[in-house]
Amino acid sequence: MTGRERADRRQALRLLAPTLLALGALTVYPGFWVVWLSLQHRVPIFHMARFAGLDNYVFLASDPRFWNAARTTVVFTALSVALELALGVTVALALHRQRLGRRLGLSLLLLAWAMPSVVTAKLYEWLYHPAAGLVSVLLGGHALNWLGDPYLALPAVILADVWRTMPFVAILCYARLVTIPAEVYEAAQVDGAGRLATLGRITLPLLGRIVMLALLLRMLDALRAFDIMFVLTGGGPAGTTETLTVYAYRSLFQMLQLGFGSAISVVVFALVMGVAWAYLRLLGARAVVA
Amino acid sequence: MRRVLLALWLVVLSGCAGSAPEGGPVTLVFKYARILGPADPLPALLREFEAAHPNVRVKGESLPWTSDEQHQFYVINLEGRSPGFDVLMLDLIWVPEFARAGWLLDLTPRLGPGELRPYFPSAVEAATYDGRVFALPWIMNVGLLYYRADLLRRYGLEPPETFDALVRQVRRIREGERDPALDGYLWQAKQYEGLVVNVLESFWANGTRLLAADGTVFPEPERAAEALGFLRGLIASGVSPAWTTAADEELSRRAFGDGHAIFLRNWPYAMDLFQARDSRVRGRVGIAPLPRLARGPRGAGSTGGAHLGVSRRSRHPDLAVGLVRFLTSERAQKALARGAALSPTREALYDDPELVRSRPDLPALHALMRAGRPRPVTPYYLLLSATVQPEFSAVLVGVKPPGRAIGYARLRLTHFVGALR
Repeated sequence: MTGRERADRRQALRLLAPTLLALGALTVYPGFWVVWLSLQHRVPIFHMARFAGLDNYVFLASDPRFWNAARTTVVFTALSVALELALGVTVALALHRQRLGRRLGLSLLLLAWAMPSVVTAKLYEWLYHPAAGLVSVLLGGHALNWLGDPYLALPAVILADVWRTMPFVAILCYARLVTIPAEVYEAAQVDGAGRLATLGRITLPLLGRIVMLALLLRMLDALRAFDIMFVLTGGGPAGTTETLTVYAYRSLFQMLQLGFGSAISVVVFALVMGVAWAYLRLLGARAVVA
Repeated sequence: MRRVLLALWLVVLSGCAGSAPEGGPVTLVFKYARILGPADPLPALLREFEAAHPNVRVKGESLPWTSDEQHQFYVINLEGRSPGFDVLMLDLIWVPEFARAGWLLDLTPRLGPGELRPYFPSAVEAATYDGRVFALPWIMNVGLLYYRADLLRRYGLEPPETFDALVRQVRRIREGERDPALDGYLWQAKQYEGLVVNVLESFWANGTRLLAADGTVFPEPERAAEALGFLRGLIASGVSPAWTTAADEELSRRAFGDGHAIFLRNWPYAMDLFQARDSRVRGRVGIAPLPRLARGPRGAGSTGGAHLGVSRRSRHPDLAVGLVRFLTSERAQKALARGAALSPTREALYDDPELVRSRPDLPALHALMRAGRPRPVTPYYLLLSATVQPEFSAVLVGVKPPGRAIGYARLRLTHFVGALR
C-alpha cells in the first residue's frame, strides 16, 4: 500500500465515521439493548431488574393475548396490503388514462397520503360515528356498530388504513406508467393487441417490479402498524384490533414491564426481518434494486 | 458505546438546559394539561404567584393531549432522571406508581397539622402511598347519573336508586314516548380506562371490588361476574344501545346532549355543556348518585381528577411546594371553579355562596363527590387496568362469559403482580 492509498483509506474512514457512529448509536446499540432487556424481569418503578433467561418468551408462547395480537397483525397486514396494491394499481391505471383533472386527482391522492395517521384515525372516528357518521348515512341510516363490534372493528380499521396508504402505491405505480415509452404501445397496436392483451402483456408486467417494491415497503409498515388502531379503537373491542406493536406499547409504557414488552418488540423485529429476508430470497435482490 | 451515548446525551443536555445562573431569578416549570378551555384562569394565577414571589418565574408547559401520552411523557422523563420540571399535574391514578418509583417529593414532613382536612377524604386517600402523602388534590371528579328530569316527571318517576328500577323506567318511558331514536341508558364501554371505571362502579354497586385490601384480585368473583353479566345484559336487551361498546365520555355525552337518551353515566363536566345556551337539553337535566345492584348497599361513582405533585429532582423544592399550595388554595380553586367549570377538591367551596351563584349544581355535587370511591390505590394500577380492559370488553361485546374473563384476568395478574412481590 502506498502512502497515498493509506491516506485515501484514512480519509474514507473519517468520512464514513459519522454515519457508522450514528447508525451504531441510534440503531445497533438500542437493538441489542432491547434484546438484552427482553431477557430480564425489569420493572423500573419497583426497582426490579433481574436476569430471567427466556422466561418472558416462555410466557409469550402460552399467552393468548399475544397469539391474538399476532393473528391480528398477520390478518391486518395481509388484507390491508392486498387491498392497497389492488386499488393502488387500479387507480394508477385510471389516472394514467385520464386526460381531464389528472393533476387534481394526483393532489387529492397526495393529500390523503400526507395526512398524519392520527388525523386519519380521528377523521374515521367521525365517519364511523354510530348515529351521525357518514358511513351510516351512506348505508341508508342503517347504523352499524363499526368500532364496537368484535367482527366489524378490524375491517373498519383496515378500511381506514387502505384509504390512507393506497395513494402511496398509486403514485409509485403512476410514476412507473409515465416512464413506459409510447413506442411499446404503438408496437402492440401494430401487432393488433387489444386493450386486455395490452394490459395483461405489457402494462402489468412492466409495472411488476414497482409493485413488488411497494409490496415490500407496505408489508414492513403494516407489520408495525400502531397509530391507526391505537387512536381508532385502542385495540378493542375485546382486543380484536390489538396488534403486536399496540400490545408492546401497553406492556412497555402502561404496564411498565420493560422486559416483557421488549420481548414482544423482539418478536415484531424478527417478524419484519423474516419477511424482508424471505422476500429478498424469493425474488432476488435484483427485483428491489432494479 | 455507552460512553458515546453519554457524550451525545451531554451535548443534547447542554443545548437545552437554559438554567438560571446562581443568584439570578429562579424559574419553576409547571407541567399541566390544557383542560381548562378558552377562559383559562391558570395564567393569571401563575402571574399572581410570581407577583407574591419576586425573583421567581413560573413557566407553564402543556402536556400531550391524551392521558396515555401524558403518562408516557412522565415515565420517560422521570425515569430518565431529567430535571426538566418542578411541579407536575398528575392523574390521580398515577400518584402511588410515581411515589413507589421515587419520582415524587414526600410532602408529609412539610404539611401542617390539619392541612389535609379541608379536602375530600377520598382524594387524599388517592394521594397517599404507604402512609405518606405525595401530592395535593387539585381538581375533583366523580362518576354520576344524569337523567332527563322532564321525561321522568312526565311519567311520575323519581331518579332510580337501583339498576332494576332504572331498567323498568327506561322500558316505561320508551313505551310511552314511541320514539325509536330515544335510547335508554348511556355509559362508556370502549376498551379504554373509562371502561374500567364503569365496571368498577358496577362492582361497588354489587358490593364487591377489583382489589381487596390484602392484594387479592377479584376477592368475590361471583359478585364481579354478576355485575359484568348485568352490564352485558343492558346492551343485549337494548336498554343501552349496541354502540355503547365503542362509546367514550364524549360520544355518550353528545348523544345525551342531543336529547337521544333518558339516562347517562358521566363526569360533572357534562352538566356545564348541557346547560349551555344552545343546548337541546338545557334545563331538563338532573343529577343523581349511580344506582346500586341487587347485592350492594348503595351505588358509588368512581372519583377521578388531578393532583399536583413535586418532582423529587426539583432544584427548588420549597418554592415548588409553595406553588402547589398556592394552586390548591381556596382562592385559586375558586378562580378555577368559576372560570373553567372545574370542581374543587376543598369541600367548603361547595357551599360558598358566591361560587354557588355561578355554579348552582355545586351543592348537589358535594354529596355525590363525598360518596365517591377511588379506583384501587396501588402502584400497579395501570398494570391492573391494562390487563382487565380487553377481558371486560370481551364480556361486554358478548364473546366471553364473565366467569372465564375473570379467571383469565386473575391468572395474568397473578403472573405479573406475583413477580413484583
